[in-house]
Amino acid sequence: MKSVYRVLAFIIALGVAFQAAVMVFAIAGLGIWVDEGNSFDKAAVEALFDGELSFTGSVGMMLHGMNGMMVMPALALILLIVSFFAKVPGGVKWATAVLLAVVVQIALGIFGHSNAYFGLLHGVNALILFGLAVTAGMRVRRLDTAPARSASAPEREMV
Amino acid sequence: MSSRVRLVLACVATLAVIAPLGWFWQASLLPEEYSVMDMGYVDFGGGPRPGGLADGVAGHAGMHAGGTSIAGLVADPDRRPDVRVDLRAEKGTFKLASGREVDGYTLNGQSPGPVIRAEEGDLVEVRLENVSVPDGVTLHWHGVDVPNAMDGVAGVTQEAVRRGESFTYRFLADRVGTYWYHSHQLSHEQVQQGLLGGLVVSPREGVPADVDVPALVHLYDGARTINGQEGDVPVRALPGQTVRVRVVNTDNGPMPVWVTGSSYRLRAIDGTDVHQPAPVTGEAVLVTAGGRADLEIVMPQDGSGARVEAGGAALVLGGAKHTESPAPTEFVDPLSYGSPRPAGFDPAESTRSFEYVIGRRPGFLDGRPGLWWTVNGHMFPDVPMFTVAQGDVVRMRIENESGDVHPMHLHGHHALVLSRDGVEATGSPWWVDSLDVQDGESYEVAFVADNPGVWMDHCHNLPHAAEGLVAHFMYAGYHTPYSIGGNGGNRPE
Repeated sequence: MKSVYRVLAFIIALGVAFQAAVMVFAIAGLGIWVDEGNSFDKAAVEALFDGELSFTGSVGMMLHGMNGMMVMPALALILLIVSFFAKVPGGVKWATAVLLAVVVQIALGIFGHSNAYFGLLHGVNALILFGLAVTAGMRVRRLDTAPARSASAPEREMV
Repeated sequence: MSSRVRLVLACVATLAVIAPLGWFWQASLLPEEYSVMDMGYVDFGGGPRPGGLADGVAGHAGMHAGGTSIAGLVADPDRRPDVRVDLRAEKGTFKLASGREVDGYTLNGQSPGPVIRAEEGDLVEVRLENVSVPDGVTLHWHGVDVPNAMDGVAGVTQEAVRRGESFTYRFLADRVGTYWYHSHQLSHEQVQQGLLGGLVVSPREGVPADVDVPALVHLYDGARTINGQEGDVPVRALPGQTVRVRVVNTDNGPMPVWVTGSSYRLRAIDGTDVHQPAPVTGEAVLVTAGGRADLEIVMPQDGSGARVEAGGAALVLGGAKHTESPAPTEFVDPLSYGSPRPAGFDPAESTRSFEYVIGRRPGFLDGRPGLWWTVNGHMFPDVPMFTVAQGDVVRMRIENESGDVHPMHLHGHHALVLSRDGVEATGSPWWVDSLDVQDGESYEVAFVADNPGVWMDHCHNLPHAAEGLVAHFMYAGYHTPYSIGGNGGNRPE
């Protein structure tokens, strides 16, 4: 269970990197597509999200949305559930923090559609989430190198 | 803590996380087959329970019990048609006029389909044959207040037309104006991929213009086209001639249209003439998704021509040499454009008043997790069933607090815009069938309930409709025999 916890946490961190990568992929591709003489407006946005418009990088928009709205929250939930069973010191606490950061991240992403300034926070919170996920994963390694603490710590975290 | 207690605690915690999610997921699943009349809850708009509904009948069950089937709501069956058109719907690869190959759907081998032209008062008869569209097809006459059984909504007003089958639409073209037709079966896919065409109804005495051009704007594979042509589309026009450009926005977002090289008048919105439209310069018209705008341009006497810019494509009138001008930042506001005149009914004498508040929240839609639209706080299918009686004067407040723009489309009726954000309309009566409601905006509209049946009232950003931004209007005493899903495979969105 501990290794599951660790792997999941690192996958979430990787997921954040993936989100950043596909978004920039999409924006770069969009810039080139517009440079080629195409027009980007509301109808194009809708076509893009509906998979009816494609250019190099366009898949990034859809991947960002799907990964961010479905995969990441699912992974964060599974991490939390795994943390109940894996005796990782502080495991539940860190998994909860990761889940909260994912929820905040989704909310900021959504609010960004009404107010662009939330987009700034969405970018910053991504790094916070990344840090939390890496820290959660590292807890397992610490446990391996500090066996003396492992017996009691997780029980305290449970309560 | 013993490891057993710990394990039990972990299981309890897991359940606490999963159980509510599972419950919400399960509760959101739609039945295999359902009637739109079973959706959500009845909303009488503060008016009396209409006479067609027995007292004490709770909810929807009673609505099925009696009443007239909407299947009988057709145009005069004995009258000979004045305009007859055959349309053959096919799925496949086709070439746009520009040469671009597109994978999608055609009508009579082309997309957009042929422009259907009629004169005011004509009876139009269109036979739709499904040659090879696997999911079935229908035609909805967008903006035409057809009899309900001719509205072309799969699962609401008819069965989707399966491969090898046909369906004949008959309706009276009783209002002059610019309209369009499109599939209302799996519309978010079929419309985007080409199952659409234009419809123009001219006055008996002829269109008051020398040149009359429909401009059906559509995005094929990300390429903006006008009447299926990309880039600059030439239109012959001589100096001094009056050109009427009938812009139809068939896409899913608001589209600015403006003119380079000349002023213009906004002659009509959604098929209704604007009263005394003033010349416009330096402003664009924002055409609602699904909406229409008729622009009138008088060609400059010096022969320099003019361009009508529409989302990356353009009509080039009279060989204009101008280059595209930048999009204006100001827009014509129909709330104050033109001059007032009587609207033909008194909205103050309304008998029902509805709210259509659009929001958004996370949840499950038919088992799919996501962020979904809400109507009056309820998620599809738990949306209001706006219920009216024939002859009612209906007011509706449409408010958008969802973070996205919504082009709201009411089937079978034209509504008069009364106010926006509390500011009353002061221009020409602004009649719409497709109304852009921006995030944070609130509109009040009114209409006369004079076309009985069961009508959709939905967002014409068609992917949004597929995401549940759909409600219905129904007349008491009528019911639809059709259903969504099931063997018919009706999926209107």
